[in-house]
Amino acid sequence: MSFQQKNVTVSLVNFLLILGFYLIRVTQLIRTESFTLDKIIWVWISIAVIAVVVTIIGTILTHIISAIIEFVKTGNEDPKIEDIEDERDQLINLKGTRVTYTMYSLFVFLAMLTYAFGQPALVMFTLLILCGVLAQIVGDIYRLNLYRRGF
Amino acid sequence: MGKTQIKNNIRTLRFFHDEMTQQALAEKVGVTRQTIIALEQEKYSPSLELAFRIALAFDEPLTSVFSYGPSRRF
Repeated sequence: MSFQQKNVTVSLVNFLLILGFYLIRVTQLIRTESFTLDKIIWVWISIAVIAVVVTIIGTILTHIISAIIEFVKTGNEDPKIEDIEDERDQLINLKGTRVTYTMYSLFVFLAMLTYAFGQPALVMFTLLILCGVLAQIVGDIYRLNLYRRGF
Repeated sequence: MGKTQIKNNIRTLRFFHDEMTQQALAEKVGVTRQTIIALEQEKYSPSLELAFRIALAFDEPLTSVFSYGPSRRF
């Protein structure tokens, strides 16, 4: 598994965890009947902060674990991690980003439909961030599939 | 997805160049070892520039390394 592939896997795990956190938080808000716009905005902010922090920590951990594995394999005290991004990685990234944006556009359209069909704006805002996370997960799965199966 | 229409002889050429390793070839042409693996398994079609760099690494003309469609390998 290449370093870039590990990064995509870490990103996928991050966003699955964020999805879990989001669903639990929203379910709690609905159960306690405190499902209001200001609470949802706080969930939005916490999701954004968690996404940034977890991504940074995940990338650092990937570097450290890759270096440890390389050290165990080769015994080299200054292990060389192949973290360059070549043309294949860039192409896979572009294709993955295209899938993410396409899915996000589709999901946003569906979220807006709920508003058009008479649901409160709160439902649309709640769905919007869910759409972003889901689109990122779909994009990451597509990237991993391209790494595994080729194109 | 799967195998591409661009065939190559990279594995054979590595053998004839003192069993050059995938890592050595990757470093010579400036890509990762995973890209060389994907090329050998014909799961990835290289850019024209990378194809030329691989041909140069083996000191062979481009057509000796890559061919299009079902072709016989040497």
